[in-house]
Amino acid sequence: MTLSYLLRRVFHALIVLVMVGIITFFVVRLAPGGPSLLADPKLSSVERQAIEQRLGLNEPLPVQFTKWAGQTARGNLGNSFLYGAPTVQIIMTRLPNTLILAGTSLLLTLAVALPLGLASGMRPGSVFDRITSTVSLVFIAVPVFWFGLLLIILFAVTWRILPAGGMNTAGQEGSFPDLLRHLILPAVVLSAASIAEILRYTRSSTRTVSTQDYVRTARAKGVGQWALRSRHILRNAAIPILTAVGLQLPRLIGGAAITETIFGWPGMGRLSVEAALGRDYPLIMGITLFVALAVVTFNLLIDLMYPWLDPRVRAEA
Amino acid sequence: MPRRLFSVGLLTLSFALTLSSAQAQSGTLKLPLINDPIMNPVIAPDLGSVLINKVIFPGLVRPNEDLLPEPDLAKSWTITGGGLVYTFTLRNDVKWHDGKPFTAADVVFTFKAATDPKSGSRLVSDFSSIKDVVAVNPTTVRFTLSRPFAPFLTLLGHNAGILPKHLLDGKPLNDATAFNRSTPIGTGPFKVTRVVPGASITLEANKDYYGTKPKLAGMVFKVVPDINTQVAQLRSGELDWVNVEPNSIASLQNDPNITLKQANAVQHFLVFFNQKNPLFAPAKVRESMQYAVNRKAIIDGVLKGYADYPTGTLPTALKKYYDKTIKPVQYDPARAKQLLAEAGWKPDAKGQLVNARGEPFKFTLIVDRGNPSREQAALAVQQDLKKVGMDVTLQPLEFATLVRDYLIPGKYDANLIWWTTPPDPDQYSYYATGQDNNNAFFSSPRADDLLKRGRETADVAQRQKIYNEFQRLEMTNPPVLVLYYPKELQAIRKNLSGVPDLGIRDALRHSEDFQLK
Repeated sequence: MTLSYLLRRVFHALIVLVMVGIITFFVVRLAPGGPSLLADPKLSSVERQAIEQRLGLNEPLPVQFTKWAGQTARGNLGNSFLYGAPTVQIIMTRLPNTLILAGTSLLLTLAVALPLGLASGMRPGSVFDRITSTVSLVFIAVPVFWFGLLLIILFAVTWRILPAGGMNTAGQEGSFPDLLRHLILPAVVLSAASIAEILRYTRSSTRTVSTQDYVRTARAKGVGQWALRSRHILRNAAIPILTAVGLQLPRLIGGAAITETIFGWPGMGRLSVEAALGRDYPLIMGITLFVALAVVTFNLLIDLMYPWLDPRVRAEA
Repeated sequence: MPRRLFSVGLLTLSFALTLSSAQAQSGTLKLPLINDPIMNPVIAPDLGSVLINKVIFPGLVRPNEDLLPEPDLAKSWTITGGGLVYTFTLRNDVKWHDGKPFTAADVVFTFKAATDPKSGSRLVSDFSSIKDVVAVNPTTVRFTLSRPFAPFLTLLGHNAGILPKHLLDGKPLNDATAFNRSTPIGTGPFKVTRVVPGASITLEANKDYYGTKPKLAGMVFKVVPDINTQVAQLRSGELDWVNVEPNSIASLQNDPNITLKQANAVQHFLVFFNQKNPLFAPAKVRESMQYAVNRKAIIDGVLKGYADYPTGTLPTALKKYYDKTIKPVQYDPARAKQLLAEAGWKPDAKGQLVNARGEPFKFTLIVDRGNPSREQAALAVQQDLKKVGMDVTLQPLEFATLVRDYLIPGKYDANLIWWTTPPDPDQYSYYATGQDNNNAFFSSPRADDLLKRGRETADVAQRQKIYNEFQRLEMTNPPVLVLYYPKELQAIRKNLSGVPDLGIRDALRHSEDFQLK
């Protein structure tokens, strides 16, 4: 890997971001409807005009675009229509909440999916494999909002052992046990589908690798079960799994809209929904650019990890 | 030894004191919001913001249980100069939540901002009748109106919470982001102590409150965007009061901890028929719709009975002005067909209505997507009108699109929507010719005259007569097809008491009387 390769990749990333920005700008403005602040049939025409002027919507689209591009190039993403505050500031108050939820759910996903996937991939067709396959299919198929509400009704309404939503009990912000109680249900719901997904990747990847000649050779040489799995199978099976996990990463930043809405979790996913429904142009733009930046960065990092995992990729580069 | 006894005594005393004050103020009431509110009554854009503002920002007057104005920040008032001059005497014992005294200057500041569209005010049209407002002395405010305006007092108690001049003077209200979002200062029974964006607003009882001392220790407004989760949180005790739609009461009816209350809402749900479209210009056609649509079936089926049957655009909640003696128009498709025939629409061989030129009675009905009650009501209207031979296409649209691209530019045929009005019969801006909210383009010189006189007449008996006449006129020349006057369905935990018999918006201005056992 050379410096010029890295520079080229960074340059590509920048182009992607600029394209995302321009396309989003026009798509959100050309979409039917408009800012919810203006969608009140009760507003008089005087009030409506005052709002349009304040938000800069009375100007022609090309003028609006030039202003936006100039601002953005200088790193100013503007003020949210709905919140009045700078877009970056709003994103920064919500981002940690999403990281807590998505991070927990990713850890949960890996902790459950990797061992189960490995185990069922080692013994394809066994009873254990069939059970995990069926269960994971069910979790892929179940809609998130239904599963979320089901857990809320069971754990919060019927048994009353966990809260039905929110991130903290009001007044107990900063209490870790309280956060943990609020975290359990949304983290489980958010993990359910991704556990199933990663489990199936791990299973098929393990299954492919474990039929390879070198695994048979290692087994014939008398390599122990543990060493066989960790050194010979898991390492070789890791690349497709890493790709699958990498595809999940943008969720860490973008948040999970449905889960966050059902559980009233004040994260990025819910913020995006609010921004989209309210047609809060600056906030939509800010979130989109932010998530795009995250996706591009993660992809770059994952590409950079392949050579470290796989000597063959190293040789090609 | 005596000293120790003394300190034990003190301890007991202080313990007893804590206990008694805990009895005086206890419990935290938990209410839902669907997003972060704007805590500034003059620029508040949505219902959630209006609700929390009712607790933080009292106005000069407030509605009592009969929805009539009673003193609040104003002790008393006089109306002189032929209904043009309102002079308010203010209380002199009111402090802002930051300890500064409340004076007439705050009132003047609030109404200067409220009538200035550049401040971001949403109350410009409510108070367009104000010509001038001056502070005569620190406890006297005088409003001069440009025309007699009977709803003035009611509107003062509806949305016009008073803002602190010392914190907001000098820039548009919209730009005071810190005040509006996290550190609002009002004069109400509860003050904001903590705001967690996207999650909650915590308020505690205001010990310096000028009225009855609050019985609750505090309130929490929690952001719970999903209505199903709100209901679940109500059942688990994480919320104390949730307003619900008729379709979600099934899970609440059998819960022993929850009471379902109905409150009158000053709302009418209706179908606009765009009278720029020649189809709907004749009064006979609009009259026939009242017979063609089975509104009883919509109330019973879609709203599970939680609505009143309509006669005109003045809802039953306006008890004083609603004329009960007018006979409601009942479902009668035969009569509808007869009226349509008189207007020149007769069924062809296939039962389709056609005019003399053979053109069909064909139009599109739009409704906002996502609210089950309204979508089902729209479907029922479509089916009923099909039965009398109209060709109606139903088109659900996202609310913002419906309003901005169809309703406001007048580019639609028919639209199912609703109006929430202040508790006053004045409907001039809705149904008088050429007014801002007359989206159906209804125009009747008779109605214009009545609506104009109605808003200018202060005498209640005379106003009643005027509005009863308007209501009667609507039976034969309906500006819109009114479908129902809904009830507000309040699901409340049984341990909450002291809630007046009002919609949540007005009830919250009485939150100092709320009690949790």
